[in-house]
Amino acid sequence: MTEKADKTDVWQGTLALMVLKTLEAMGPLHGYGIARRIEQTSGGRLSLNYGTLYPALLKLEQEGFVAASWGVSENNRRARFYRLTRAGSKQLKKETGEWEKTTAILARFLNPQEGR
Amino acid sequence: MIRSLRAFLVRLAGSFGGGKKDRELGEELESHIQMHVEEKVRSGMDEGDARREAVRKLGGLDVTKESWRDRRGLPVLRELKQDLRYAARMLRKSPGFTAVTVVTLALGIGGATAIFTIVHGVLIARLPFRDSDRLVAIWEENADRPGRRNVVGPANFIRWSERATAFSGMTALYDWRMSLTGRARPEELIAQTVTSNFFTTLGVEPVLGRAFAPDEGPEGRDAVTVLSWGTWQRLFGGDPSIVGRTIQLNGQPVTVIGIAPRAFGFFLKAGSLTGKPPDLWLPFAFDAKSREPHGRYMSAFARLKDGVSLAEARAQMKAIASSLTAELPRWDTGWTVRLFPIRDDVSGDMRPALAVLSGAVGFVLLIVCVNVANLLLARGMARRQEMAIRTALGAARSRVVRQLLTESLLLSILGGLAGWWIARAGVALLTAWSPVDPTVLARIRLSVPVLAFAVLVSVVTAVVSGLAPAFESSREGLADALKEGARTGGGSRRARRLRQALVVAEVALAAVLLVGAGLLLRSFARVARIDPGFDAKGILTGRVTLHGKIYEEDERVMAFFRGVVERARALPGVKTAGMVSFLPLAGLGAATDFTIVGRPAPGPGEEPTTDVRVCDNAYFAAMKIPLLKGRLFEERELRVKSNVIVVSESFARQYFPDGNAIGQRVVINMSDNPDPTEIVGIVGNVRFENLTAESRPSTYWPHPQLVYGAMSFVIRTDGDPKTLAAPLEAAIHDVDKDVPLAEVKTMEQWVGSALSRARFNAMLLSIFAGVALLLAAVGIYGVMSYVVGQRRPEIGIRLALGATEQEILRMVVIGGARLVLLGLVIGVPVALVLSRFLSSLLYETSRSDPGTLTAVVGALGAAAVAASFVPAWRASRVEPVEALRS
Repeated sequence: MTEKADKTDVWQGTLALMVLKTLEAMGPLHGYGIARRIEQTSGGRLSLNYGTLYPALLKLEQEGFVAASWGVSENNRRARFYRLTRAGSKQLKKETGEWEKTTAILARFLNPQEGR
Repeated sequence: MIRSLRAFLVRLAGSFGGGKKDRELGEELESHIQMHVEEKVRSGMDEGDARREAVRKLGGLDVTKESWRDRRGLPVLRELKQDLRYAARMLRKSPGFTAVTVVTLALGIGGATAIFTIVHGVLIARLPFRDSDRLVAIWEENADRPGRRNVVGPANFIRWSERATAFSGMTALYDWRMSLTGRARPEELIAQTVTSNFFTTLGVEPVLGRAFAPDEGPEGRDAVTVLSWGTWQRLFGGDPSIVGRTIQLNGQPVTVIGIAPRAFGFFLKAGSLTGKPPDLWLPFAFDAKSREPHGRYMSAFARLKDGVSLAEARAQMKAIASSLTAELPRWDTGWTVRLFPIRDDVSGDMRPALAVLSGAVGFVLLIVCVNVANLLLARGMARRQEMAIRTALGAARSRVVRQLLTESLLLSILGGLAGWWIARAGVALLTAWSPVDPTVLARIRLSVPVLAFAVLVSVVTAVVSGLAPAFESSREGLADALKEGARTGGGSRRARRLRQALVVAEVALAAVLLVGAGLLLRSFARVARIDPGFDAKGILTGRVTLHGKIYEEDERVMAFFRGVVERARALPGVKTAGMVSFLPLAGLGAATDFTIVGRPAPGPGEEPTTDVRVCDNAYFAAMKIPLLKGRLFEERELRVKSNVIVVSESFARQYFPDGNAIGQRVVINMSDNPDPTEIVGIVGNVRFENLTAESRPSTYWPHPQLVYGAMSFVIRTDGDPKTLAAPLEAAIHDVDKDVPLAEVKTMEQWVGSALSRARFNAMLLSIFAGVALLLAAVGIYGVMSYVVGQRRPEIGIRLALGATEQEILRMVVIGGARLVLLGLVIGVPVALVLSRFLSSLLYETSRSDPGTLTAVVGALGAAAVAASFVPAWRASRVEPVEALRS
């Protein structure tokens, strides 16, 4: 019960960015791997509803940022692997920049004395 | 932007054929769960728990799949697909209802599309000229002569074109017949002789070769011609090398310089001497002699200068015309000039009939909507429980309405497809029957605008007929519907009222159509009974026009015709063979003014006029035109100019009301210095122009007095006149092998085409009215069956209390009759008001013809009784006990 209060829900736009970043760092990966990796990276502070991951992946695929193909997992299991496309890397760079800008602004806004 | 467009397109594509992708997702999620489970098991969890945990983390398999599917396709499309699939299933489940509805819709949509195809071709489609709305037709008008479009005199036209500043170009033309020779078989062609600026004024470029140069036309220039597309195809097989080659026209070499575009056929029947569209064009130029007034025989057109309005051009031409009346009083007194947009002239006299037919088909479409609405309403009642359950399970009302509208849309699409087929057949039939001239017909085809119209009509029909039932069905209180559904029948009072109102509307609409059709049929019957003044049965006709140098001598012309007539008389089966310059009911004829010897000369513009025909005695015999008084021509008078004429009864009665016409002498202005001629006989009247116009005063001349190079042979036989066509042509070629025989038709065919317009209108409106009557009957049947079904318990009680079967029968039939009566009370007055639009199509038939009205009331009454009889009979057979129990 207490666990829940510490964990943060992930909203769509951020999830897409996390997926792209994960794929950039890890190379081609299946859905479960992406989900686990995001949770691990967050140090267990993110509670990811795995169900929201697949529509998000589909959306990225439709936009052409990721490509998917069937392959074999480390445990010899058939799985669908996602990899970053060239458009995807560009998008990741762009969104990372925007995200940093936003957080910087927010940081100044919320802690005004630090900036001065 | 591009990314989201890409995503949209992918999703649009993803909306279709999802089976494989769904399976793939299933596999992907399964492998996800497996990996999850394996990991948990490795860390010591029980496999069952691990699996539950994995599914929970996924947020439930089905929810995930659902949101994934939403993302894959477009949810709106997915719902539509669902609705469509469901609608298709519902329609398949009740094939009877579906068939009746689709056929009903097809009749309405098909009929509307067919009529619109014609309206579009005649009134809307672009004319094959550049900026056709800037083109005007110019006619002369004489208040004393019938019609507002009289052909134009060259003397006036020359003066107009010198003085008018409102136009950027003015062109004039006349048409005549020519012989194309130098080929296996001589051929008659219609030539339009046009001023050299004809093509440039109309804004038409030849598809091959060139148009006329401005200096082409005067006598002495090389003879050139532009061929119509049709002639090029028909006679020269579309060979492009014909341009630059020489053909033989009337025995003269003429060089082909161009081919006109396919769609271009310039033909206004009102001004045509031949009554047929042109096969080729020849240039001409006015010479000094043309300035002298000498007759009216041309059609004139002009293109408005930029910035000049039609009204301004009209005012200017009116002013010029009145100054001409002052300058040429003998010639122009009583004459003025009229301008019409060219579109008006091209669609000509089809306008009123098309307006009526469009109105009629609109009414049919309305009835169709009403009927389909009625059918849907009936079904809605039967499906109330289904709707209630769907609502109870959480379907929003808007969703239910959308579902019902999808169903009617699907029905309309099916109806539209079937209707498209009906429209195609209908257009083929219409163009085959129609009295429309062929140049207009060329533009009548199923085209993109027509297709768009059909789609629009289908969708509008779907919405109009589906909306009321959809809302009616979805408005039911949930509990009520379920409760009522437990009992038989059901259906609110409101719904019953609505259905009865629909039937009343249907009957009223049908009454309007029936009245219209009845009036046209009656009028047609009257026209068909008109005695044209001759007996058309067993007569073959064919026309010959002589051209060329050898026929410049009158004696040769007369010898040719005499030779052919003698040979024709000798043919087996021929009873009489004669000839005449202008056949009745076959086009225009010559007419002129005259003076009566011994009476004071009339003022300018007040001379009496007469039709002039050249013929022999055998013409009267062959046509069975009776000699009423005096005698026909003597043998000598048919060979030597003797100055005698025979006149029609109408001529004698109009100009010699005292009955003393025989022996009188008249001077008829058919030549420059006419001799007085003596009236020797009076023959019966003949309807010449058309069947409905009174016959005009006519004079008949023997050949030597007025030598015509164009004559029609009239051959009477006891057998089938068509079999004489080949022998007649052989007889002609026996006399001169280069003379073509044209327009070989039986006299009955000529009469038939004179009737065709009236028949066409009457027939078409009758078809529409028939459909309307049928649909109304179906509607009455539907409502009465429904009412009877609903009242079964009540009828059971009545029967149990001692009512007889006849009483029940009467009760139901009277119920149906009441609806019809109400419909008639509304429909007949509306019909009487609307029949105003029919008056121009009616011949000697009153708009409120009592016979027609009685027949309409009778027909609808009979339909009502017939339609409610079956349900009534069923009601009377209700078993009281059973009815009460159910």
